[in-house]
Amino acid sequence: MIEPRIGFRGVFQLGRPFPLEVELSNSGAPAEGVLEVQVWKGGATKGGAPFLVNYRRDVFLPGQARKTVHFTVDPDFISRPMAIGFTGPSVRTIKEVDLRRYFAPGPLLLLLSESHLLAPFTDAPQSRLIAMSPGELAPDPRALLGVSHIILYDQSLRDLSRGQFFALDTWITAGGSLVIIGSLNFALYQEAQLSRLLPVRVTGTRRIEFAPPAAKGARPTKVAGVLAQEARLLNGKVLAEADGMPIVVEASRGRGRITYLALDIGRPPLSHWEGLHGYLRHLLTPRESEDVAPRSEWSDAVFAQLVASPTFISTYVPFASLFFAILIYLAGIALIPWLGQRFRWTLRTMLCALVAFVGAGTVIGYLHFLRGGNIPDGVLMSSTVLESSGDGYVEAQANLALFSTQPRPYDLRMERGWMELTPVSSRLRENSEPALVHQEGGGASRYHLPLREWDYRLFRMRRVDRFPLNVQFETLGDKLTMRIDNQSNNDLINCWLLVPGQRFELGQIARGESWTKIFPLRRDARASGDPARPADVSFRDLSFADKTRDILFHSSFFPRGGEARWASGAAVFFAWVKQPEARVHVDDPRIQTQDFALFRAIVPLGGEEEE
Amino acid sequence: MSRNPVWRESLAVFFFDGHGYQVYFYLLAILAPVEFLSLYVPSLDAQKWTGSASLFKVSAVTVLLLLIYFSMRVANQEFASWRFKPLRHWLREQGQGAASVIQGQLAFLSAHIGLSLLLCAPLLAWAGAISRTPLERVALTFLLLSFYGLAYGVWGLAALALWERRVENRQVFIRCLFVTFVILSALFYLPLNPVGFLLAYLSRQELPAMTLFGFAWPAPWAHFSFHVAFAAGGLALHRWGVRREADS
Repeated sequence: MIEPRIGFRGVFQLGRPFPLEVELSNSGAPAEGVLEVQVWKGGATKGGAPFLVNYRRDVFLPGQARKTVHFTVDPDFISRPMAIGFTGPSVRTIKEVDLRRYFAPGPLLLLLSESHLLAPFTDAPQSRLIAMSPGELAPDPRALLGVSHIILYDQSLRDLSRGQFFALDTWITAGGSLVIIGSLNFALYQEAQLSRLLPVRVTGTRRIEFAPPAAKGARPTKVAGVLAQEARLLNGKVLAEADGMPIVVEASRGRGRITYLALDIGRPPLSHWEGLHGYLRHLLTPRESEDVAPRSEWSDAVFAQLVASPTFISTYVPFASLFFAILIYLAGIALIPWLGQRFRWTLRTMLCALVAFVGAGTVIGYLHFLRGGNIPDGVLMSSTVLESSGDGYVEAQANLALFSTQPRPYDLRMERGWMELTPVSSRLRENSEPALVHQEGGGASRYHLPLREWDYRLFRMRRVDRFPLNVQFETLGDKLTMRIDNQSNNDLINCWLLVPGQRFELGQIARGESWTKIFPLRRDARASGDPARPADVSFRDLSFADKTRDILFHSSFFPRGGEARWASGAAVFFAWVKQPEARVHVDDPRIQTQDFALFRAIVPLGGEEEE
Repeated sequence: MSRNPVWRESLAVFFFDGHGYQVYFYLLAILAPVEFLSLYVPSLDAQKWTGSASLFKVSAVTVLLLLIYFSMRVANQEFASWRFKPLRHWLREQGQGAASVIQGQLAFLSAHIGLSLLLCAPLLAWAGAISRTPLERVALTFLLLSFYGLAYGVWGLAALALWERRVENRQVFIRCLFVTFVILSALFYLPLNPVGFLLAYLSRQELPAMTLFGFAWPAPWAHFSFHVAFAAGGLALHRWGVRREADS
């Protein structure tokens, strides 16, 4: 029997991955088989043909037993049902689930609390607050991508597994928001797991007089006798203080943030305070300055340029061999009738000679041309833009292209930290794409897909990675100070700084190198700040010796015509990462891999900035 | 079959006298440069792999066109036509039955198609290896080529039986038939066209179904039904023409 549990207590955000627990119960003999979840991706909304993704797991089910298997599934559309099937040598069972009953249009908020003192406090129409226990938290960061905030109150994280804690941490780093609300039980907040997330060190509790920020035009109010945790700031920024204690602290972690509220809002007097809803809503609102990094272009048009480049695939074109083979063959064919007439062969003898010659020529030539030239079976190319998130983390947008010269299956293995892998729909293809199979096991995620000869498939991948390269900018009058500290394992080459009206070649920045340089700023160029002036920051004249880098830079990372997006009064620093580590592997020597990575920092020139 | 005088006469004209060698010479003289150039010319461009990628498609389509064209002409006795004895000779003077004449002519058409494919086999197989075309697709292409050769070739026999003494009429008819069914049919409904069908098969493209009398016929079904009917029509006309000559 198959019993699915969908999303977070039966809810998930439409268009985002969600956790799926499948409980298998076996009332018969032990069974070994494959558990498969089938969802649909692509389709009209993605601008391509729909295709199936199968999430597959090998399962051994003892007799008279139950087993729960965790998946993270990501359908693009839910008008077709999700199919869950278990197939073994002697058993086959399938269950279809209509996902339309479970979706929420907006992101979810998860409340982790042991005390049940917090009443539902969010009234945002697009969000759903779901109370759950830490044990229910998915051990996969991708499963949390449909969650905007996780709220912790009066909750121990001691029982979180390593996988669950890693998932929570990675989700925050990838852009999630964790809100930790203090409570009377301050000892919970001194536990090791929670301390690793807290931007403060909690030492105790005391009652304070709390003065919430007054709304515009409203009279300031004060709430006396509020229970608050005493804490010492470790990192982050204090946003509110009371009685000399930090009340609201915000710390960034990668692209995400952790907000700490020292007040115990689940107990009186704050639990009865009528302004609590509004105050919490203010706390849970996403920051206005949360800007999304410009996405790189990745399409059939970009790939067509890449594949045209001789550096992409040095295909063996055996025209010389073919020329001589044809000549020899034609000469042989002409020789047989001539010999036949000269030596008066019978028609049967001539035919036998012809068949033998043609047969031998066909087989020898076929084997020669099939194996000649060491043409790779395929090429896996990844081009990655690393956007600094602070704290030594980068958000990596990787574009993958898998090109095949053979009809064969491919097996992509992802390293830990990847958050999303989305196939790019192709408008050029009329037929439906073959199904992708996603398999987890042995601590690795794998995607299996078949490709035909001279065929390709494009993917976009997002991951969070460690890349300790610190770039800081400071503008003082008509000077720009740039500090750089490369603590990463890679040298940076072809480094450039572009500011409105000017650009500076910085050459190579070796690993371990750090320096501070001052660059002049053109006053007139900064003052104009007109994004319609493409001359402000122009990437057009830049070129690189490597043709593939050139194409990627101008067509994918900084597509032509899109300069205005980066030009409006910003400093753009970029550098190619020398020999970047591959994060997606194909464990087959017959498949070439090419990895390109560009570190990019785009900083508005408003004052002191840090990347 | 070896005693069939029509079969023996065709073999003698084509292979002992050597009048048929020109057909195979044309076949190879056209196919070999087309194949070589379709590999060589794209290699001058940056996107040089495209030559390898499409080599088998180009070669297979070339063989298809040449095979159909020459099969129709060979069946129509356009090569060394003065060396072939007329039907009247076999049927009346030699006392051969209509069935024996039909059998001899069909056997020679099949032998010509087989020999043409044999001679093209190395070039097609090499193209398949260079373009990494799966072996089963290469093999099925050979089957398709034989089928088209026969389906269209029998119309050459039909023309010969119907208008034996009007050589120009036969030649015009054969060329019109070739242009209409092998080239122009693509303009009306692509799946009927052998070139379109072969390319779709090699590119793994799905062709649109044909809607007829409110029923949607899958493209392969429509294609093969049409060609089987087309070949059967040619055979029936050939049979009728030979019998008419025997009865007159």
